[in-house]
Amino acid sequence: MSDPIDLALLILGLPLLACIIAAYLAITKSPAMKFAHVPLILGCATGAVLGIILLLKVAGGHEHRWISDPMTWFAAGNLKVSFQIAVDPLSAIMLAMVTFISTWIAIFSSGYMHGEKGYARFFAIMSLFVFSMCGLVLSNNFLLLVAFWEGVGVCSYLLVGYYYEKPSAAAAARKAFLVTRLGDVGFLLGIFLLWKMGGWNTSLTALFDYMTKFPPDQGELTAACLLLFCGAVGKSAQFPLYVWLPDAMEGPTPVSALIHAATMVTAGVYLLARCAPLFAMSPVAQIVVASVGGITAILAAFIALAQNDLKRVLAYSTVSQLGYMFLALGTGGAISPIFAVTAAMFHLFTHAFFKALLFLSAGSVMHSMGGVIDMRRFGGLRKLMPVTHITFLCGAAALAGLPLLSGFWSKDLILEALTKASEGNRYTGGYFVLLLVSLITVFMTAFYTFRAYFLTFWGPERIPEEAGHHAHESPSRMTVPLMVLAVGAVFVGIAVEPFNHKFSHLLEHAPTLLQAEAASHTEKIPHHFNMVLASIGTALALGGLGLAFLMYRKGSETLPAAIEPVFALSRNKLYVDELYGAVFVKPAGVLAFLSSAFDGFLDAMARLISAIPRFVGWGIRPIQNGLVQFYALSMALGLTVLLTFVVFRIAR
Amino acid sequence: MITLWHYLAVAAALFGIGLVGFLTRRNMIIMFLCAEMMFQGVAINFVAFARYHGNLQGQVFVLFIIAVAACEAGVALALFLMMYRRGKSLDATDWQSLREMGVPPTVDTVPLPVEPVTEDEHLAPAGVRPKHVPTEEEAARV
Repeated sequence: MSDPIDLALLILGLPLLACIIAAYLAITKSPAMKFAHVPLILGCATGAVLGIILLLKVAGGHEHRWISDPMTWFAAGNLKVSFQIAVDPLSAIMLAMVTFISTWIAIFSSGYMHGEKGYARFFAIMSLFVFSMCGLVLSNNFLLLVAFWEGVGVCSYLLVGYYYEKPSAAAAARKAFLVTRLGDVGFLLGIFLLWKMGGWNTSLTALFDYMTKFPPDQGELTAACLLLFCGAVGKSAQFPLYVWLPDAMEGPTPVSALIHAATMVTAGVYLLARCAPLFAMSPVAQIVVASVGGITAILAAFIALAQNDLKRVLAYSTVSQLGYMFLALGTGGAISPIFAVTAAMFHLFTHAFFKALLFLSAGSVMHSMGGVIDMRRFGGLRKLMPVTHITFLCGAAALAGLPLLSGFWSKDLILEALTKASEGNRYTGGYFVLLLVSLITVFMTAFYTFRAYFLTFWGPERIPEEAGHHAHESPSRMTVPLMVLAVGAVFVGIAVEPFNHKFSHLLEHAPTLLQAEAASHTEKIPHHFNMVLASIGTALALGGLGLAFLMYRKGSETLPAAIEPVFALSRNKLYVDELYGAVFVKPAGVLAFLSSAFDGFLDAMARLISAIPRFVGWGIRPIQNGLVQFYALSMALGLTVLLTFVVFRIAR
Repeated sequence: MITLWHYLAVAAALFGIGLVGFLTRRNMIIMFLCAEMMFQGVAINFVAFARYHGNLQGQVFVLFIIAVAACEAGVALALFLMMYRRGKSLDATDWQSLREMGVPPTVDTVPLPVEPVTEDEHLAPAGVRPKHVPTEEEAARV
């Protein structure tokens, strides 16, 4: 039991068991269905406890990586795929985080989804979601990773389309699945390219060992890295494939929390962190990753400025924060990959807390407002929902990066990484621009977060009529998770990094990261607190907060005419959806129309050919009139003709 | 001297009469007899050629024909009996229902004279008609 591999397998098995139980309840429609949340909560809670034990074990010992014995999954020629899991600091952190956050989301959902149709179905898919994510984190084989990666995709499809009777939800689910799939194509291609380059290995560790021992061709490696990055772009909602994530808000709110905080979107970041040894060898791929992250961060932050849907603001903020993580990961070639990955993973870690918190708070608001989520229709809720108000404030402050809160520390680490990266290497200028971009984004983040906060909780109390008797604070099943996560959002950052450096020390020992550092020929960066950078960041965040306060403290939106066009642009999401519609969807529609026309032509031809026998049949049908004499006469005449022919032909 | 040609002439006449009879008559029993005549015409052919060639093949064939014809007679007459019971008629044109869908039934331009149905007066004791009037279902099943 004390073996880390056993622990990890147990953590992996618990959600699967919960899924089976909940699915059984859902299929049999048994009256015990209203307890469908119990297996998930118990499974996740046990998993979280075990995950923390595992984390302590990984942090404490001298050994830092355990790899299970490979169990062959399938093999064909050179392609050998085995079921193999690896526990190292990176996966241990993810595992503990995923199970911990999922536990509280599960508890929240048991209150939020109470009395919904398909209660057991919901929890079955949630369990499967957590299982897939845990498997993704643990797997030490690229193809196994893909299997779990797709499992996560399927679960997100099922959960986003949970209200499948609603056309918009069904469309959003389809969009989520198809857009991420677009990235997955690249991901698979990348894996096969790596398989070819890396001595026919599909095992992650074996592949990295091979690659560091026999450095591959630079161009091929860059191509493979960029293809892997394609998958991450789709899954982690980066520009240009981020469009599915805001639409995924059609699912129930706890699902959004799960997707945005613990599972799904973090998968892309994790993948890149995992593959750091490859990326470290390819500076070109790194600058591309950083650039895409930067573009996404500022683009999504800009779109979030003027959204009226509370959940959409949060969704775009997730996209933007994921951009930050990719910015950090992208510095990995220019500076020590350990530092880069630590910054990204630390932001992922703190972000999970405050984003789950923000989504659950938004869910609590939505629950009491009777499903209304448009910020123009409610306001001034701070008296009505005191707990939700405080927890949302904690989350917002952490997201905005106000000093001492968890978001502040992780964002600071990323800015630090960018600063270091913009000193003395090939892409100095590029990283400097990205640093500026991220600083602007800090300002915008603070602004839109607090805009949402003020619009929801300040000003005169306004409640939409849909709320009815629901307009009160949510039950304790929902507020307790909020409080726990709020504590996390406030303190988790300060607890693990800025003073004791626990988080970075843990990752320093990750074997893959050490490999990456050796491959990138960079120097280790000492952890020290950069006062200037932190002050600039704080000033920008406070500036954004102050601006939001000035504009929205009344709890309603009145825009000066000068900035109205900018906000209109933001409100319409920079017309990206329309652009995609015109550039990709329309031509595809035309192509589909042409194909269908051609298909119609082929059908017409087939029908024409089939019409010939039918016509002949129609012509000679009257012959079969049921009269025996007529048949006999026909036979006799036919025989006569035949005989005449034979006799005279042969006689001649 | 009776040559092969004489036999062939008789066989051809027999076959021709049978064919014409088969094509022109509508009574099923007559048609059946005509078919038998055609058989016999063919059989005579076989026998004549067997004799002419001096071997037994044709004769064996004729034995087969007679055996098959006997079987066929049994089946055909049983069939006619059942058909007579259902339709009270031996007219072959009454059984047109196997024609193609949508093809109109062939009817006589000049209707056949209706023969009055007379009650059977000289039935054997076993064939006495039941006294009760048959129900609709019974009538349909007969």
